[in-house]
Amino acid sequence: MLVPLTFRPHHTIIERFDPRARWIFSFLMMTAIVYYWDIRFLLFFFFISFTQYFLAHLTWKETRRGWTFIIILISMMVLINTIITSAGTIGAVTQGGHDVFIWNATVPWVGWNIHFGLTAERLWFGFTQIVRLLAITSMFLVLPFTMDPRLYGSTFSGMGLPARLAYSFDLAFRFIPTLARDFNVTMDAQKARGYEMDKVKGGLFSQVKKVAPLIIPVTMNAILSGEDIADAMDLRCFDTGKRTWIIKLTYRWYDYALMIFSGCVLISTLIINHGLNLGNFWMPDWFLGLFHNIK
Amino acid sequence: MKNPVPLVVRNLSFRYQRRSEYALRNVSFEVHPGRVILIAGSSGCGKTTLMRCINGLIPHTYHGEMEGVIKLFGKSTENMGMAELSCNVGTLLQDPERQIVSSYVQTEVAFALENQSLPREKILPRIDETLSRIGILHLRDRETFSLSGGEKQKVALAGILIARPRILLLDEPLASLDPVSAREALQLFRRLADEGFSVLIVEHRVDDVLAINPEEVLYMDRGHLLYCGDVRGLMKVVDYRSIKLPAEIVFKRARKDPIIQFKPILPRASRKQLLTFKNVNFRYGENTPQVLHDINLSVYPGDIIAILGPNGAGKTTLVKHTLGLLKPTSGQVLLGESDTQKCSVAQAAHIVGYVFQSPSQMLFADSVRQELSFGPRNLGMRPAEIVKNVEWAIKTVSLEEELETPPLALSFGQQKRISIAAVLAMRSRILMMDEPTAGQDYWNYTAFMDAILQMPGYEAVLFITHDIDLAIIYANRVLLVSDGRVIADGKPEKVLAEDDMLARSRVLPSSLLRLNQKYFHATGRYYRAETLAHRIYNDNN
Amino acid sequence: MAKKESKKSLWKFGTREVVFAAIGAALYGVFAWATNVLQIPAAANVSIRPGVVIPMFFGVAFGPIVGFITGFLGNLLSDWFSGYGFWPWWDLGNGLMGLFPGLVANQMTTFRAAKDIILAEVMALVGIVVGMGVAAISEMWVSGMNFITAIAANFIPAFISNAINGLILLPIIMVAYSAIVKRSGR
Repeated sequence: MLVPLTFRPHHTIIERFDPRARWIFSFLMMTAIVYYWDIRFLLFFFFISFTQYFLAHLTWKETRRGWTFIIILISMMVLINTIITSAGTIGAVTQGGHDVFIWNATVPWVGWNIHFGLTAERLWFGFTQIVRLLAITSMFLVLPFTMDPRLYGSTFSGMGLPARLAYSFDLAFRFIPTLARDFNVTMDAQKARGYEMDKVKGGLFSQVKKVAPLIIPVTMNAILSGEDIADAMDLRCFDTGKRTWIIKLTYRWYDYALMIFSGCVLISTLIINHGLNLGNFWMPDWFLGLFHNIK
Repeated sequence: MKNPVPLVVRNLSFRYQRRSEYALRNVSFEVHPGRVILIAGSSGCGKTTLMRCINGLIPHTYHGEMEGVIKLFGKSTENMGMAELSCNVGTLLQDPERQIVSSYVQTEVAFALENQSLPREKILPRIDETLSRIGILHLRDRETFSLSGGEKQKVALAGILIARPRILLLDEPLASLDPVSAREALQLFRRLADEGFSVLIVEHRVDDVLAINPEEVLYMDRGHLLYCGDVRGLMKVVDYRSIKLPAEIVFKRARKDPIIQFKPILPRASRKQLLTFKNVNFRYGENTPQVLHDINLSVYPGDIIAILGPNGAGKTTLVKHTLGLLKPTSGQVLLGESDTQKCSVAQAAHIVGYVFQSPSQMLFADSVRQELSFGPRNLGMRPAEIVKNVEWAIKTVSLEEELETPPLALSFGQQKRISIAAVLAMRSRILMMDEPTAGQDYWNYTAFMDAILQMPGYEAVLFITHDIDLAIIYANRVLLVSDGRVIADGKPEKVLAEDDMLARSRVLPSSLLRLNQKYFHATGRYYRAETLAHRIYNDNN
Repeated sequence: MAKKESKKSLWKFGTREVVFAAIGAALYGVFAWATNVLQIPAAANVSIRPGVVIPMFFGVAFGPIVGFITGFLGNLLSDWFSGYGFWPWWDLGNGLMGLFPGLVANQMTTFRAAKDIILAEVMALVGIVVGMGVAAISEMWVSGMNFITAIAANFIPAFISNAINGLILLPIIMVAYSAIVKRSGR
């Protein structure tokens, strides 16, 4: 039977790091990336992200869905941003620039004039955007595949989250295979009553309503068993005070190194950005030259 | 005060807030170490409330009005916190699935001690010690989801024993187990009692628990403690129709009572095949083990078939093939003339009505009427026809007055009937039920099975069960399934007669089977104990 | 089954809340997995994401914290199962989608009264606007899009899909839940 748990250990260098160190690393790196629109800096992060990705030894089969999703999302955003709404968040890109393509048209009958202009800056901005987004998404894409779900509770508790909240994480993982099985059973039970999800009649309302026979039994059943689970936890002294986690995480020297490294990157970013005023949008001259040659 | 009594309950009464009637009335008893105490009674007798009072869920989680005293080892529970209570009383809830809170066995067992904030170094050895004590150390690094029902229960038990309680409360511990696992579990409970625990077992399957010789029995009814004493005394006071007693007892007592009328309404047997399996083999995926091996069988009009076998033998997989929910890897399943490979599940539903084990897995509508119309509407029946079939189905399960009630607001037994009616309304020709009696107490399930099998409207009935007694009482044909094979197929008195065959499919002979075998020479077929009593005594007189 | 303690604080987070937050998140994750991975055929042109109703409903039924965790953790899990990686700002947005309906949890009486349903729907709508708004605006900051792109590419599709699925399914689930509440309160 299909169960949606994808974790299997890959025994790679990446998985030897303490999960807390990796979360801290990922968040600090993301914060740093967001400061840059200069592709020269972004390529540095792009390189780090993809180093992590390749060190994780993920197979194409595992990540295919993720990449498809990321590529569709990025291309949609970049396309809309660059071509249709023709702007970015950076002043240098929105105002002025060097036109590479201009298209003027008049809508027949109505007489509206359409002016569409694409500048070299906007094209380069779009390219920078792709690099930046790939750096961020590929960094986070790796996490779920390389972190043992049984460590989540102790990880978040070790990062200062209250024990109760951290335990919700562990408990959620405990319920997933059970609920997935329940979902399959309900699906079969309704099919046995002639229910066919793909045969949709009627308007929007009835189309959406069509999932009710699936989600209501699964949800209500889960709520009823929740009452029992809460009793079972109370009976074993949950939430009576401080809590031990028998799964123990220990930082090693390389975890410290990773955290210090990411801390340094963030601090340097702040200096570069605010102190030196570097890292803003930058376009190489040769790129502009390309279009001059065409003309 | 030396060796105080582990548990003393004095004049205990309890009423839940917002309810007018008392759930417990004036209950008093004592529990001594090293004993197994059976608490028997049908649903609604107050046994769950009694357990909640002892383990502290009342008053810590459930609120209401409580009178009387509970003392644990001489100390009143009134001012005890949950931590102190759980060191004295361990509670195993009915469904281990709803007790396990962790994805892994090791952390599941550690849970109580983690919550008490014991240092990690002290917890780890205690996990191993507890697991070894009940013989499941080998499960330590497994995921809880992948365990079998019996294993889950042992892991849940380990999670309780690790806090070193001296009193164990077990709430219907046999409900989710197949007979062999149930026997194992009972032997484990006996051993724990012999080691000095006080073990309280709440169970309506009295017959099964008697095998481990409980020292004492409490019999409860509507909140009152009607009997407290040894097993022999119980047999005299209790109504044999409300809890399941050994067949010999029923046999002796039933002969003076009026005979039970039971006559299934089915068409006369014929050789027209309703459903046929031809050399069916099945596996879930290329690299997974084969689940069904060479299944060949046909279902004919007039058949009432019990499918018996342990958990994991492939019973459900087999039954799912009849609807095309699963398709054979090789071989054919024919519904009448048509191959399930070529028809949709919805088309198959015209012929096979499949009632899943738990009604809560399928009930969703806002009223019983809508719930019952769902299937017929999916099958494309005309509105007038739907109305007619819904009326008929609800009448058949005698719940006409609930037509406008939301099914989710009904009691479990009523929901079970609604789930059957929802399938009946589709007017399928074969009725197929997975564990039809699961979750119901003895009185309810016999009444339920009697009613279902005396309903008109279908040509054959199949049901999956662990309970050999259901096969004896209701079936006219039994399939024994083991390791994905049908190892026997025939009349109950033939299939169930051979002990080694039963052993092969992990089916345990029951007291009813023994009784029937004893009188088989006189009866020529199997009956329920009550009917057998009339046959033997009244025919002889 | 007895009704548990009647007066409860809106922001309480005890054992029951821990359990329901976990169940809600797991349900959201599993439903998303079922729609994305099992490819339950979606209706015509609406993307059927029935899961989005779960944080809203768990908020309404069990309070804002449960609603928030259900949305946050649930979206995290559903991206995970679908193999999409980790998108913290969308997790946050989904959390808010559960938090807002949770603010009226104590106003619920029967879960099927017109008043209950209208209140829940209004708060769910607020939650969708704020939650998806926060996520879309974070997207401006992270991906460097302008406001119009964020609205067109992120906010509007997410808003439409969540509003259609959530607002249609929320009353249906509430009515179903009312039957359970009625039964356990008996």
